[in-house]
Amino acid sequence: METTIKVIEPKNQWADRLLNFWRVFSKSRIGIVGLVMLMVIVLMAIFAPAIAPYDSSSSASVEIDDIYNPPNSVHWFGTDDAGQDVFSNFVFGARVSLTVGFFAAFISIIIGGVTGLVAGYFGGRWENVLMRITDIMLVIPDLPLMVVIVALTQPSLLNIIFVIGLLGWTTTARVVRSQTLAVKSRKFVLRARAVGAGNGHIISRHILPLVMPILVVQGVLVVSLAILNESALSFLGLGDPTALSWGQMLNYAFGRGAMSIGAWWALLFPGFGIVWVVLGLTLLGQGLEQVLNPRLDTHHLLPGRPAIQRGHVESRQAKGALLEVQNLSINYINEGKPAARAVEDVSFTLNKGELIGLVGESGCGKTTLMLSLLRLLPSAGQIVNGRVFFNGQDLTAISDEELNLVRWKEISIVFQGAMNALNPVRTVGDQIAEAIIKHMPAIDHDKLQVRVIELLDLVGIAADHKEQYPHQYSGGMRQRAMIAMALACDPQVIIADEPTTALDVMIQAQILELLDSLRRKLGLAIIFVTHDLGVVAEICDRVLVMYGGVTAEYADVDTIYNEARHPYTQELLKAFPDLTKPKKKLSSIPGYPPRLEALPAGCRFAPRCPAAFDRCHTEQPSLSEIGEMHFASCHLIEASK
Amino acid sequence: MNTEHFLEVRGLKKYFDAGRPRLFSREARFVHAVDDVSFSLRHSEVIALVGESGCGKSTLSLLLMGLEEPTEGSIFFEGRDITHLKESERKELRRKIQMVFQDPYESLNPTQTIEEIINEPLLVHGIAKDKRERDERVMKAMEDAGLKPAEVYLSRFPHELSGGQRQRVVIAAALVLEPEILLADEPVSMLDVSIRAEIINLLAELRITRQIAVIFITHDLGSVGFFADRVAVMYLGRIVEIGTMLEVLEKPKHPYTKALISVIPVPNPRLRHERIILQGETPNPIDVPKGCRFHPRCPVAIAICKDSDPPSVTLSKTHSAACLLLVK
Repeated sequence: METTIKVIEPKNQWADRLLNFWRVFSKSRIGIVGLVMLMVIVLMAIFAPAIAPYDSSSSASVEIDDIYNPPNSVHWFGTDDAGQDVFSNFVFGARVSLTVGFFAAFISIIIGGVTGLVAGYFGGRWENVLMRITDIMLVIPDLPLMVVIVALTQPSLLNIIFVIGLLGWTTTARVVRSQTLAVKSRKFVLRARAVGAGNGHIISRHILPLVMPILVVQGVLVVSLAILNESALSFLGLGDPTALSWGQMLNYAFGRGAMSIGAWWALLFPGFGIVWVVLGLTLLGQGLEQVLNPRLDTHHLLPGRPAIQRGHVESRQAKGALLEVQNLSINYINEGKPAARAVEDVSFTLNKGELIGLVGESGCGKTTLMLSLLRLLPSAGQIVNGRVFFNGQDLTAISDEELNLVRWKEISIVFQGAMNALNPVRTVGDQIAEAIIKHMPAIDHDKLQVRVIELLDLVGIAADHKEQYPHQYSGGMRQRAMIAMALACDPQVIIADEPTTALDVMIQAQILELLDSLRRKLGLAIIFVTHDLGVVAEICDRVLVMYGGVTAEYADVDTIYNEARHPYTQELLKAFPDLTKPKKKLSSIPGYPPRLEALPAGCRFAPRCPAAFDRCHTEQPSLSEIGEMHFASCHLIEASK
Repeated sequence: MNTEHFLEVRGLKKYFDAGRPRLFSREARFVHAVDDVSFSLRHSEVIALVGESGCGKSTLSLLLMGLEEPTEGSIFFEGRDITHLKESERKELRRKIQMVFQDPYESLNPTQTIEEIINEPLLVHGIAKDKRERDERVMKAMEDAGLKPAEVYLSRFPHELSGGQRQRVVIAAALVLEPEILLADEPVSMLDVSIRAEIINLLAELRITRQIAVIFITHDLGSVGFFADRVAVMYLGRIVEIGTMLEVLEKPKHPYTKALISVIPVPNPRLRHERIILQGETPNPIDVPKGCRFHPRCPVAIAICKDSDPPSVTLSKTHSAACLLLVK
């Protein structure tokens, strides 16, 4: 295969990042509206002399008729008590308001940023002292304090900037501190220390780049706060009398009878300016936050209403099978791009009390397949073909209400990493009880408690742990608790999605033993999803090996481990450390699984397959039965038949 | 240079303050994370430290890296005591001992490009100031870590790479300083089985091509099989058995080691075997059990195990285990 090497000039990186940022930001409608609103005012302030029809500072010839003139063709916004053009004052006032806002915010951001960074990064005494000062600042009401300070000093523009700036940094300090703490505890900071990096290096290279986005968002909000504060001070008559800001305009109009005369224009337009800018900044801040704040990333699995598009196929469930998946195909719809074929033509059956292993590398479509069984796919996921029969019902065809009777009551799922999904502030017993109540609302209290203890006992947790919180549980116990929750409504099928990944081998063995005993005791059918062929060998009846969204091989457990025919299964087995032959070099499969948006034309495994020949690169092999209850999709096997 | 004592750890202990049990209680409680550990490492040797979570293996690695101060004991590197060093002396040493972390998703800064990440150690240590020399070293480290061709990866960001590729980036960032010891803390436990073999093979290659000694920390005895020279099994802050790989895997003497070996999944249903599944989990290291610390979970414990702490019993020149059943 040919690889094209693209060497990108490192100098373009920043431009690239900026461009990339703009690409994402421009999709945020709120952010764009805010930006436009702000830019209108900023441009107006910059080009004030060109826009304003009158010079605000001179009031050369004022006639009595000019005082409080309503808006007209000459004075668009009317005139004020001194006969000055309100529109011109409005335009020049923007300059003062924005100047104060930006410079004061700049001071706040610097003080707050440094305080938060030092407190968060160095911790200990530094943190104690700095954060207590911040707390004290925070409880003192801003405005009265500003009023006092400005009244005591000369109310000049510079003074106002400093007072607002010096009092407005507290929230920034807190936000920056908490972000610094979060970044500091991440592994790459520890790695940098292990490399030998000093504090200066770690702060500038690792902490700042991740604090900066939050600081930018915070900065925008601080600007709007500073503008509000300036307006309030000016309105109270504490503004710089030589610089006319919007707050000042309000102050004059208010104090000089605009209200009693009914000259609404003298009040409305400056007020409108303040609202406009603050709203613009708030929207911009929100838009920036959506783009910059990684915590708001919403890539969660939101169960939308996946559309089912497929031709009418007459098919029925085979007799005796509890769950039967027939030719299931799932696409992910991607705006403007061809749909990603995440799962294609997968079939399997599950009988009562059976344990089937679904094996494949990450990204091979295992989780997608499992979620689709209960139609829990994110909204981009579409079942495009196939059926899922459960007790004679086609789960892909029934209504949501009917499906809700199946979800959790009949088929429940133990999600991957679910042990970290317990609510930390509620006891484990409480959370199990909740799972029961949700599906059996009529149950009375005593019976509920008995049932909780019964479930805990079933998964091997002593009853006295019922009132404990998740943090008092170890990882293995949390996973047991999750299994107890899945068992809450006596389901017939449990889907266990990587239930032992990230657990120690001993705990893994315990969980496997537990699942195995549960299916014997309760006659449960279990689908065990894993990337580890070794794990399923111990307990499975049948194994389905998936690769790149298709079935590579499907057979009973003995056949898979001893007579595997598909090269992928064979390679997977070879990659497994064999304790009976230590010193043997492990073989690994070169390359990586295909990306769903760029699937190879032929067999999906062909690029990594050691036995691939011409046909494999051009034509996708179909799944065929190569022995009794033994299916594989490989041209090689077909050719050798 | 004394090759026998390339790296030597003697009686290392690390206790963390666990606070008082009650507000006005006098006694302070401690987490016995690492409790009297001794071992040595030879040039280009691979030693595996095996144990469940909570056995102290990660704390031990932080102690070895000088990222935590030990409570007691000492660490010698090439005959020199490096237990307590000033940060400036430590920095020099860091070039020689590098670390690979468990989670390749967390241990890379998402805002840095691969080139920046691998270049960083050189920048920190001020080596290879010349741009061309630096580029050469970065490229060499990347190719040694299996990121070929290196140019393709330079301007990418971590999120554009797969787990296995990321772990290679972490390894390349360690190799760029040309270390003599690589401390790998669970480097494969977050990866797919098919990728694990690749990373283990890579580490095995490095000790041959670059003569690097590897301290391989893992909870999975199965993954150490083919490349570790020696294996040390840890339980609750102590080494309970240490020996050559074959001695530990084929003739385990400590009941804990036997249990760990028995639960390694065997990828063949025909070889389904009796497994010794220990009940419960490693006890809280604040309240270490009296006597043998393994006795509450030990399937073969006898009466005296409750009272006396087992000494380390020498079984061969290289093999020893701490179990009262072995004392004759």
